[in-house]
This record gives sequence, structure tokens and C-alpha cells, in this order.
Amino acid sequence: MKKLILAVAAFSILAACKNDSEKKDDSAAQETTKDQVVTVYTHRHYESDQNIFKMFEDKTGIEVKVINASADELIQKMKMEGEQSPADVLITVDAGRLSRAKDLGLLQSIESELLEKSIPTHLQDVDNQWFGLTKRARIIAYAKDRVKPEELSTYEDLTAAKWKGKILVRSSSNIYNQSLMASIVANDGEDAAKNWAKGIVANMARSPKGSDRDQVKAVIAGEGDLAIVNSYYIGKMLNSPDPEEVKVAKQIGLFFPNQNNRGTHINVSGAGVAKYAPNKANAIKFIEYLISEEAQQVFTNANYEYPVLKSVEPVQDIKDWGVFKEDNLSLNKLGENNKKAVLIFDEARWK
Amino acid sequence: MKQDGNKHEAFSLKTRLKRLKRDSNRWSVFTLAIVFFLALPIIFIGVELFSGPGETWSHIVTYLLPDYIWNSLYLVFFCSILVLVFGVSSAWFVSRFDFLFRKQMEWLLILPLAIPSYIVGYAYAGIFDYGGSMDLIFRQLNIDFIRIDIMNRAGLAFVLSISLFPYVYVSARAFFLNQANNLLEASKMLGVSERKTFFKLMLPLARPAIVAGLVLVLMEVLNDYGAAKYYGVNTFTTGIFRSWFSLEEPETAVYLSALLIIIIFALILFEKWQVRKVKFTSSKTNSSQIQRKETKGYIKWLIFSVVFLPILLGFILPVAQLIYWAVLTASTVFDFQFIILSLQSFAIAITSAVITVFFALLLIYFSKWSTLRSIKNIARVGVLGYAIPGAVIAIGIMIPTLALDKWLIKMLGNMGIDSGLIINGTLIALFYAYAVRFLAVAYNPIDSTALKVDNSIPDSSKVLGVGNLKRFLKLNFLSLKQVYLVP
Repeated sequence: MKKLILAVAAFSILAACKNDSEKKDDSAAQETTKDQVVTVYTHRHYESDQNIFKMFEDKTGIEVKVINASADELIQKMKMEGEQSPADVLITVDAGRLSRAKDLGLLQSIESELLEKSIPTHLQDVDNQWFGLTKRARIIAYAKDRVKPEELSTYEDLTAAKWKGKILVRSSSNIYNQSLMASIVANDGEDAAKNWAKGIVANMARSPKGSDRDQVKAVIAGEGDLAIVNSYYIGKMLNSPDPEEVKVAKQIGLFFPNQNNRGTHINVSGAGVAKYAPNKANAIKFIEYLISEEAQQVFTNANYEYPVLKSVEPVQDIKDWGVFKEDNLSLNKLGENNKKAVLIFDEARWK
Repeated sequence: MKQDGNKHEAFSLKTRLKRLKRDSNRWSVFTLAIVFFLALPIIFIGVELFSGPGETWSHIVTYLLPDYIWNSLYLVFFCSILVLVFGVSSAWFVSRFDFLFRKQMEWLLILPLAIPSYIVGYAYAGIFDYGGSMDLIFRQLNIDFIRIDIMNRAGLAFVLSISLFPYVYVSARAFFLNQANNLLEASKMLGVSERKTFFKLMLPLARPAIVAGLVLVLMEVLNDYGAAKYYGVNTFTTGIFRSWFSLEEPETAVYLSALLIIIIFALILFEKWQVRKVKFTSSKTNSSQIQRKETKGYIKWLIFSVVFLPILLGFILPVAQLIYWAVLTASTVFDFQFIILSLQSFAIAITSAVITVFFALLLIYFSKWSTLRSIKNIARVGVLGYAIPGAVIAIGIMIPTLALDKWLIKMLGNMGIDSGLIINGTLIALFYAYAVRFLAVAYNPIDSTALKVDNSIPDSSKVLGVGNLKRFLKLNFLSLKQVYLVP
């Protein structure tokens, strides 16, 4: 009981002295005295990452502390923690969230020749606040028996009348759809994007639900003919422990849209150093490790993503899909247009 | 009972304060302190109502809100019907009749709560999926199987109901077991039929207990995010996350949460008002257990089936699907780290359960001992956390605890001690969050059932604590990793 009263008292005192804008000025001195750790806030919940973190620990002796949650939650957490945030690195599964973190002042510019040189320009932030680590392509999975690849061409073409009742795609609350829409806003303009959203909604085989994998299954189940999905899900299904998923993935055809103009929409999973990172040097070392050849190899081998490092070959399963032209739109644009994309989705009633 | 709000307007404020002082005792003050402590995060969220929503509010009202409200109402309506049917029927049968495996089924009926509803949702999607379990079984049998699409609004109502009905079952059963005997005797002596006894006597009398369970179900239905999102049903809660994450407006998300809190609070007050109209008096002396009737013939099998069905649907089927998946992925998932994590979750779950039940008991008994009766309504503010999605509660928790942390850092800094965040990112914040969020689960059943029979504290926590523990285990075992307050 006394503790409770104490707690209440503490809160009231706290309310009285709400002036705490004092800046810490010993952060530089702190850096060197801290233990060898790096705290990573990450949205990626894959086994591949756990392996890579372990490899990094073994190699450098720096302990990796992982906090796993959705990027939005992590960003909120960092925002609220402010200067006291223990986060050193933020990892997300899309560029949009990284650029939002940048806009909120949660990241810092870093100097790393290695990162700047190894990662293609359009896959990194202009101010060096974040860097792409792996690529995923948003592709069209089609039923081989009902659709000929010649009939397919672009994302824009999916609104054509011939696809009425045939398109499967997940909810617009999904970030991969939001990024795709943001890229269409950037490439085709807002009005065209609105019409595109309406066109897709009109052609949907069913109301959006489930994951990307569920869309692929629904194609084989015959609910629709085309599914808009991320490439790495197909890779995962091909290697799934569930034999039924493997069967489905083997039956599906893959098409990379927009090869004759801007290229297929890609998104990255990326990382940035937190503004108030207590272990900045370790954070840079950590991100540099993530684009080392051995780490990139694990990303592609275990998670079927495309490496950003040119010297690393993608895993065989995805190499089999062939080389494709990717949209070189600066990924900063995806962040800028994300909110616009969501508003368009709502207006088009894309659930 | 004193009438605190005297209707005569003539009384000045001074007189009113004097009366307030006269009518309250130290328990009133203690109650207020606890409520304040537990409701603090909710108050922080509630305050957001006054700062208003973000700029996309009109967009949300035009394009999204009607759908959210409509779907939420749909779920509330159909889940209420389904959980009442499953919960009350099974509770009555296991209390009133004796039949095959009754004892085992009595506790098996609680187990659906042990699996989070979104996991049950995934499991059912897996069962009815293309290439799912049903599909495979029917293929084996060479029967053409018409795939049932469960991933829709009706399917969601079913999934939520089948995993949440034990709340109603537990509270209804506790009532039937402890309260029904005298009444049944009387009813039998008067020659009233079994059916009439149930519908005209037991059901109305059990209403407060049943409604208390139902309120918990509805709070959880409203806070569900995982299952609704996966099934593609946009509810109030998916809307909270859409405005937070997709529309990039945390303030709108918190505003929506605040609206949700008001709706739930209205619901709770309505429930209490309803119950008040039922003049409910029970004998304190009766502690004899109900005498069960033996069953024979087809009645026996009928009752068995009615009781077994919710166990089958809510526990056996989803668990079978989960085991199937577990076997498929056994080599990769079940390693040493998994076991450590599970044990960790288990320990945290138990500690949180104990803390929360402790707070609930304090709150219930302090407000009972308080001479200021209206304090009871204030106490109920504390249970609102259950209706709010965990991530939003987390924001509500982080606002005050971070402020406290920053203050502590400053204080310690002045003393020359360099510290990081002390409360946030540690178990203290997590336990606090759990207590805020799950208070209702401990509070409602204890309050509705235990106090009416005037049991002693140990008794009431024993009767109902089991359910609470299960509840905590359920929520923690699989989802600890997603609780983002703690590494």
C-alpha cells in the first residue's frame, strides 16, 4: 500500500517539474566507455537474421541486443524515448518506414565509404541516413493453365476489363501494397494512381484478406487467375516444410511487370543508425556487416531475397526466375508518397 | 446504503464537500489511489479526446468509419449470441447433470481460452484452406470437398466466439454450482418442470454472472486485431492501427481508442444498471453444492454432444492443426532457445497474474469497505484497459513511465549516477502494462460472483483465479516476443 502511495506521489511530483530539456553533453565520452553492444530495433522476424546476428557476434565480440516489433511500433517507441532511446540501429522491411523515421528526426547521417560505394544509389538515402540491405520484387503470380505470360504486361494493364474478377491481392494496410501504390503515384501521378486503384478494386476476385501466400494459394484453388505478391514469398513457399505449399508454388507462373518501360517495382529491407545511438561506432560496424558478402549470402539463401551487393549471387531458386529490369525510382519517393497512397486506397475502397 | 447525490439543489458546494468528507473513509482514499495508478495510462489516452483527432479525421469518417462501426456491431451481436449459447448451455449441463466424462469436460471447457483467438483464427484458416487439413482429408477419402471460406466476417465471429466463450462458461458455472441448490430444491418441491426452472428461474438469476462474463468477451472481441486483420474484416481496432501506422497519425489512433473506451465504459455502466434492477438476494449460508441428476438414454448423448461440441471446436480442432504445423516445422522451431523463451514467458505470465489478481482484490475490497458508495463506479474505470489493443495501452504506459524515467535519470544524474531508462525496457513496465490491461479479467469475475456470496478472499480467488491464470498463460505463451515494451 505504501508503495502505491509512493508511486502516486512520484507521479505528482513529476507533473510538477516537467522541465527536462537539459541536454546530455557527455555522450561522446560515453561512447568509448560503454560495453561492446549494439541494440537493434528490427521489424525483420526471420531466422536468417538471427543467424547473421550470431555470425556478427562471433566475429566482432559485440553483443547484439534485438528488439522485435513492427516498424511503426518501433518508430513510435523511439519517438517517445527521445534522447534516452537505447536503439542503435533501426531495421525495417520497407523504405517508406525508413524515410518516415528520417523525417521524424530519428536517424542520423553516417559516413561509411563502404556502404555508399557498395549499395546502388537509388537504394540508399540521399543524406546517408539509411541503406537498403535486401531487395524484394512485387511480381504477378499467375495460373499457368489459364493465363499466358504474353497477356501480361504492366501493373497498369491489370485494370483492363479482361481481368475482371480475376485479381487477387491482399489488404491495403499491407506495406508492400502501400509502397507499390506510392511508386505508381510517383511514376504516373496522383490521378492515374486513383484510377488504377479503382480499376484493381473493380477487377478483384474477392475482398482482400490473408497474406501474400494466401493469394498464391487462391490462384491455384481457382478463386482468381493473378496474384500480386512479393517475390520472396514464392521462394519461401518453394522451400516450405508444408508439402502442399511447395506443390502450389511449383504450379505457379511468375511474371515481372513493366519490363518494357520503368521496370518492376522493388522495395528494400533497410537499416539506419538511430539519432541518439549510444553505440554509434558499433552500429555502423553492424550495418556494414549486413552488406558483407557472407551476410548477403545468408539473406538470399535463407530468405529468398535479392542481395543488394552485386558480387553476391542470388540463391538458385530465385536465379531460376531470370534477370529482370527493376524500377530505379529513388526509394525516398516511396516514403514521401506513402500517406497519399493510403488515402487513395481508402477512396477507392480497397480494404 | 447512503444516497450520495442528494437531489435537493439547495445544497451548496461546501455542504456537498462536507458530506463527501463525512461519507468517505480511508478506504475511499486508498481505492482512489489504486484506480488512479491503474487508470493512469487510460486517462492519458482519454485526455487525447480533448486535443482532437489528426487532419485525416474527415477522411476516416467518410471512407472508413461506417465500415468499422458496422463490422464491430456485427461482431458484438453475433459473438454475444454464440458465446451465450456455448457458455451457458455447457455451464448448466455440467452443473445440473451427470454424464459421461463430465468431470473431465468441466475443466476441458476452460481450455479454449488457453489459445489466443488470433491463433485459433490462423488454425481455422489452415483447416479450411486450399491444401489445408480438410482438403487433405477429403482428398484421401476421394470425396469432392466444397471448400468452406472461413476468412470473412461470419467466420471471424465464429472464431472469436469459440475461443472466448469460456468467460461466460466460467462465471455461469460458478453461479450454478454455488447458488442454485436451494432454488432448485424449492422449484422441485413446487413441481416446476426442469425446462421452466432453467428459463424462468436460473437464467434470470444467473444474469449478473453471465453478463459479467459476456462483458469480458465483448471487450476482447473489440480489441482483437490479429484475427480481424488476417480475415480481412475492418473493425474499430483495425481502424486504430490504420490511422496510426498507415495514415501516420498516432493522435488519431489514440483519439479512436479514447472513443472506444467511452463506448466500453457505457457498456459497463449499462450492465451494472441492468443488474441493479434485478433484485438479487441470495442466502449467505448456503454453501452446499448442487445435486446432479443422472441422465439416461438419448438425453445422455444429447447432453454429452452439446457439452463436447464447444470443446471440439474451440480446443481439439485448433490444437490438432497447430500440432500438425508444429510437426512440419519441428526441426527448425523447437530448439533450446525456444524452451528458454517459453519458460521465461511462463514465469512472467505467472508473476503478472499474481500481481493483477492482487490489484483486483485490493480494488474490490477497498471499494467495498469504503463508506463512499459511489466509489464503485470510479473503480470500474480501472478495468477499461482490457478493451484497448495492447499496442495502444503501451503508448498510454510509456507516456507516464518515460516521464518518470527521464525525471529519475535527471535526479540520478544530479547525484553523479549515469543511468539509462530504469522503468521502460524492463520488467517493471511490462508488469504494469499487464496489470492495466488485464485487470478486468481478474476484477469482473471476482466482483460478480464472489462478492455476492460473500466469500472470503481466498475462496474467491481460488474459484476464479484458475481462469485468470489460464488467461494469462494463454496470452503470454505465444505472444511474448511481440510485446514490445521489453527486449
